[in-house]
Amino acid sequence: MNDKNIITSDNPLNEAQKEKLAALLNTIIPPSEDGNLPSAAELDLVLYLQTYVEDFLPLLGKILNNFDDVFTTLKPNERHTVVEEFSTEHANLFASLLFSVYACYYQDDRVHKGIGMDEGPPFPRGNTVIAGDLSLLDPVLKRPSMYRKV
Amino acid sequence: MSDGSVDVLIIGAGASGAAVAWSLADTRMRILCLEQGDWMNSSEYPSTGQDWEVRQFKEFNIDPNIRARDTDYPINDDESPISVVNFNGVGGGTILYAAHFPRLHPSDFRVKSLDGVAEDWPVDYDQLEPYFNQNDRIMGISGLSGDPAYPPKQPPLPHIPLGLVGETVARGYNKLGWHWWPSDSAIISQAYEGRDKCLNLGPCMSGCSQGAKSSTDITYWPQAIRAGVELRTRCRVREITINDEGMANGVIYYDKNGDEQFQGAEVVVIACNGVGTPRILLNSKSEQFPDGLANSSGLVGKNLMFHPVGFAQGTFEERLDSHKGPQGCCILSKEFYETDESRGFVRGYNMQITRGAGPVGTALQGLGAGDIPWGPGHHEAFAKQFDHVASIAILCEDLPEEHNCVTLDPELVDSDGIPAPKIHYTMSENSRKMLEHGIARAEEVLNAAGATQISSGGPIRPAGWHLLGTARMGNDPSKSVVNPWGRSHDVKNLFIVDGSIFVTSGGVNPTSTIQALALYIADTMKKNLANLFD
Repeated sequence: MNDKNIITSDNPLNEAQKEKLAALLNTIIPPSEDGNLPSAAELDLVLYLQTYVEDFLPLLGKILNNFDDVFTTLKPNERHTVVEEFSTEHANLFASLLFSVYACYYQDDRVHKGIGMDEGPPFPRGNTVIAGDLSLLDPVLKRPSMYRKV
Repeated sequence: MSDGSVDVLIIGAGASGAAVAWSLADTRMRILCLEQGDWMNSSEYPSTGQDWEVRQFKEFNIDPNIRARDTDYPINDDESPISVVNFNGVGGGTILYAAHFPRLHPSDFRVKSLDGVAEDWPVDYDQLEPYFNQNDRIMGISGLSGDPAYPPKQPPLPHIPLGLVGETVARGYNKLGWHWWPSDSAIISQAYEGRDKCLNLGPCMSGCSQGAKSSTDITYWPQAIRAGVELRTRCRVREITINDEGMANGVIYYDKNGDEQFQGAEVVVIACNGVGTPRILLNSKSEQFPDGLANSSGLVGKNLMFHPVGFAQGTFEERLDSHKGPQGCCILSKEFYETDESRGFVRGYNMQITRGAGPVGTALQGLGAGDIPWGPGHHEAFAKQFDHVASIAILCEDLPEEHNCVTLDPELVDSDGIPAPKIHYTMSENSRKMLEHGIARAEEVLNAAGATQISSGGPIRPAGWHLLGTARMGNDPSKSVVNPWGRSHDVKNLFIVDGSIFVTSGGVNPTSTIQALALYIADTMKKNLANLFD
């Protein structure tokens, strides 16, 4: 066993689990065909979990242990079938995994850029929103008052 | 002032408690407010960080049972299709509210006379109008005058931007010839009273980092405290105590260390919302009041009203920048607000146009709805939804029914051991028909606006924002808990000022009316100081 396979607080997955995780994440969110968006495997899910959702790390290890070593060698469509089966058999666990994967993926600036969002948190940069065309109210303004008098 | 009895003790520092404290401050009485939560720090709100979306689901979750801060209390809502949402802290529910700020209509105060259902209120729109206006000025309300659905009113600030979402949906309303109007919003569109204008951050419902959303911790409270009101946080009231004459003489509360304390008071004002208020009253049992304080009518906790909420969401070909701008404030429609019995139900509903979610929310919602799969096709499906949606929330007037109520849970307690509230609620046939009608009309609007795909549903479970009716006001002590100016019929120095005194719910977000009522009650107290307890 080399050092990379020793599970520690800063290395929560062994090498085999890391390979399975990469294959699993590539299956859940593959890269976009136009190359604008990375696959989920290109982001550091483990670091995200260590930073924000440490409680989930032990569960991640358990999830990965459900997949055979051969999983990493399968073709994408075959991996999809395996993951689909897992999602049916372990619906709650898979839902928790998806939540973390989506949270990691869609809070990353590379992804934000790819989907046309401004980078960084909303504050303090803010957003620009058009005031809107108030002439659209013209037909409403022609109406008589519509509240009931009492 | 920290030691010894005070003249006025207010329980709760939310929407109504803040308004009452501010109004009473000019009497120069000794006023103390006890709040179970903390002051908020705007630099800690989610929108300041990269993980802003996920934090909305956790420590800023609107559901106290999920948020589970140690300043929250648990609520057993297993027997309700609608769960209670709230916030406990200085500002109360206004910390996480959408800030959609319509007033009740004049007809809402006369439902018995006009429609033969429920009861009329003992106050009316005209009596409250000056307090609506006063509240609009202090909170800083943005809006547009001239709405034909209301008596004339003049919001102090220009309306917030419609955005592409508002314009698009407005075109749908115009095609159908239906009413719409820019929403009155408790969000400042221009710099106002030392606060800077809205930056269109988006996630208003997890706290406003900019301070543009008018929560009472940054509107009423700074003024009230400058005027001499004392506010103590981390003080959770267990019960109101009574003297031999049957008058309230103070409260027992737990301080930040969990130590039991007594605070004496000449007048007690409860401002804890439609769940927290009956909880305290029902926990305040004594020989004189064995069924709970101020409960000779048996109506404390009864007649709980929510606003059942349905929704329709439309997906559009064109990009609408949906995640930008105040999430819950855009435009509204009152087309189906007033009663028309040909629709198969009495009373009506508000249509509140809302903007879209951020990318995490979009992906998760799309997953749940089956619109955005994981795996192949994920990016294409996501791109069709993100920033391409507009939604309409249907907010239905709920009528009072005694079996819908708040009781004390026999087992569940909070961290101080105080019995927790339990919700018993079923949606009436009238509300169900109204909800179905509203969802169908919302789908029509989105269709007319050009949506290529529409999804809908309701009632939404985590939508019990509006907690109303559980200590209602009235002239008859056998049919109400407080009199027309919020004073308990049974305990002459006990006042209630929150949404629990609503007689009926109206069909709009209630904060504007809750605060106007609180100001009205405070003003009436001041006018009657010489004979307040007669």
